Amino acid sequence: MSLLLQSLVLGVLLGGLYALLAAGLTLYFGVMRVVMIAHSAFLILAAYLAWFFTRTTGLDPMISLLLTVPLFFGIGVVMQRLLISRLRPATLTMMSVLLTFSIALTIEGLLGFAFTGTQRRIRLPYGGANFEILGANVAVVKLIAFLLAAVSLGALFLLLKKTQFGQALRATIQHPEAARLVGINTDRVAGYGFGLGLATAAIGGTALALDSTIYPSLHWHWIGPLMAIIVVGGLGSIPGAAIAAMVLGLGQSLLQIPLGTTWAQTFFYIALFATLMLRPQGFFGGRLAQRF
Amino acid sequence: MKVSTSLRLSALAATSSLALTGCISSGSAGGDGGDGEDAPIKIGISLPLTGDFSEPGKGVQRGYEAWADHVNENGGLLGRQVELTILDDQSNADRVAADYEKLINQDGVDLVFGPFSTRLVVPAAQVAQDYGFLFVEPAGAAEEVFTQGFDNLFYAAPAVADDHYDHLADAIEALPEDERPKTAAYAAMDDPFAMGTAYGLKTRLEEMGVKTVVDEVYPPNTTDFGSIAAKIADSDADVVVGGTQYQDAVNLIVALRQLDYQPEMAAFSTAPTNPEFPEAIGTETEGILSPTGYTPEAPYESNQEFVDYYTETHGTPPAEDEANAWTTGQVVAAAVEAVGCADPDAECQQQLIDWLRENEVETVVGPLTWDEAGRPQGAHLIQQYVDGKIRIVLPEDAAEADLILDKPEW
Repeated sequence: MSLLLQSLVLGVLLGGLYALLAAGLTLYFGVMRVVMIAHSAFLILAAYLAWFFTRTTGLDPMISLLLTVPLFFGIGVVMQRLLISRLRPATLTMMSVLLTFSIALTIEGLLGFAFTGTQRRIRLPYGGANFEILGANVAVVKLIAFLLAAVSLGALFLLLKKTQFGQALRATIQHPEAARLVGINTDRVAGYGFGLGLATAAIGGTALALDSTIYPSLHWHWIGPLMAIIVVGGLGSIPGAAIAAMVLGLGQSLLQIPLGTTWAQTFFYIALFATLMLRPQGFFGGRLAQRF
Repeated sequence: MKVSTSLRLSALAATSSLALTGCISSGSAGGDGGDGEDAPIKIGISLPLTGDFSEPGKGVQRGYEAWADHVNENGGLLGRQVELTILDDQSNADRVAADYEKLINQDGVDLVFGPFSTRLVVPAAQVAQDYGFLFVEPAGAAEEVFTQGFDNLFYAAPAVADDHYDHLADAIEALPEDERPKTAAYAAMDDPFAMGTAYGLKTRLEEMGVKTVVDEVYPPNTTDFGSIAAKIADSDADVVVGGTQYQDAVNLIVALRQLDYQPEMAAFSTAPTNPEFPEAIGTETEGILSPTGYTPEAPYESNQEFVDYYTETHGTPPAEDEANAWTTGQVVAAAVEAVGCADPDAECQQQLIDWLRENEVETVVGPLTWDEAGRPQGAHLIQQYVDGKIRIVLPEDAAEADLILDKPEW
């Protein structure tokens, strides 16, 4: 019983982290049909920056967010304006895979060059700290990552729903031509949307760095599960991705008990196949996939 | 042979960025003939310089290069300089086979040295076997390396994976029955070497009546260790054994601490001997056990020379990967000096193989001999974190500190 409860707690915390890591990925796709293979590479880049920040200053890695979030937002806008927007609309989705794949490789190479391949971990005084609720242990670092996810996803949701920029962004997601007709500068909005997605990568990477060992090639281990999450959640839908992340995180954690780690990981891909066969538009979200 | 590191690194970065076929050659490629008496002895190697095994791969590279420099500074091999050609296999088992094909066929190397990790050693050894080449390798310790029917393979380290924990198993067996642990939990990466170490100890402990309460195998790309830790914590096993590489051990240990699990004994392969390990874990390393095939403190004669030379040129003492690479060099060099030849000719290669079958070689990890399948006939030292430093605790005649049987809380 206590194992079940513990796995539930771990699954919820893991699901929250997955949701944060996948949020940007679904946003890029929603805004401009870009499949961003480099998203996980940017996560690892942010994790490295957090590690480097803590190593050089001795301050808590969370403070690095003050630098990395605006930095990543800027990189995102520049990347969209200079690279992504130059792809031809007809082949955009396909070519964006190739383009962002090369960006991922470049980031991995540069990380290896700057920090070597040595596997790093931020040593936090509260790294192993935990407290007990109803017989289940909750690790402080995992809870912080979960809260980071909740706060940033909540903020993203409010931004999209309540602000004028959010309306413009959603209009760009739903119907770019119509958005342009009512006077929205869709190019600029798309740039900011991309920047926003990359800003979530800065937060996600920092959350990841709190509780994992990082190395330059780690992003390959993440991109598959994250892609599965956004497809199951419905490409382009942030609430959908969040729900899918939670379901898959919980599922992985609970299936671990009877099946072991290897099969529990396969759950992601089984969910991916099932989604593509039964509901290619995703279980929780947008109707975007129908356009293909 | 001396290509500047920055040049090589940028070449490496460029290669990985473009995902081209990596042809990073630090020596001259074949075609310049040079079979004469004074021509350098060309040695072909493929290593995982990028990808999953890039960290140990680079360690092995440093060891090989240090060995070659040392040999060249001391008059070379058979009076000839040695020249290394190192390719990057990107930790990919298909690439490694193609690399050795290229080294032997196109580059016309005289000798080959092995790559890193069991998963890459097996396909590489197959290629070497097909061409009749002697294949001494620094890092394929799992049983499956020795059951493929290779008759050209020698593992240049003290023991195969299954025997790594032999000294620890002996020490537990020597305890009075009521003081022995009752239950044990095992978590091993789905990798022949990592699993071999954990299951070697598992077999021994089960024979002593220690009950296995958790037996988890996880894929190498596992990022979340919370669930595995939850299973182990729930079992409250007396002993936890990790068949680990590096990041998985660190992540698992932190995950276990987060669940407040306190075993009496904790043993992990590979990771604890890595200098980065205490950086990552902090002061909670106390009492963690690990088998090691090498430590700079080992008293063997050539080891002092190796440690001094390496420390002088690199500023830090060598680690296990560097030592295994150096050992590989020593083993091949011993055969070459004894037989008096170093060329790709099948007859010469066979003589080298035959010589190693019959003879003992003095190396930095002690004297080595091999059985027919290339298994070295020894056991690993057991190290433990005692007073914040990793020290040899077993066997007793080599011990630097006493074995702590009841591990302090982490």
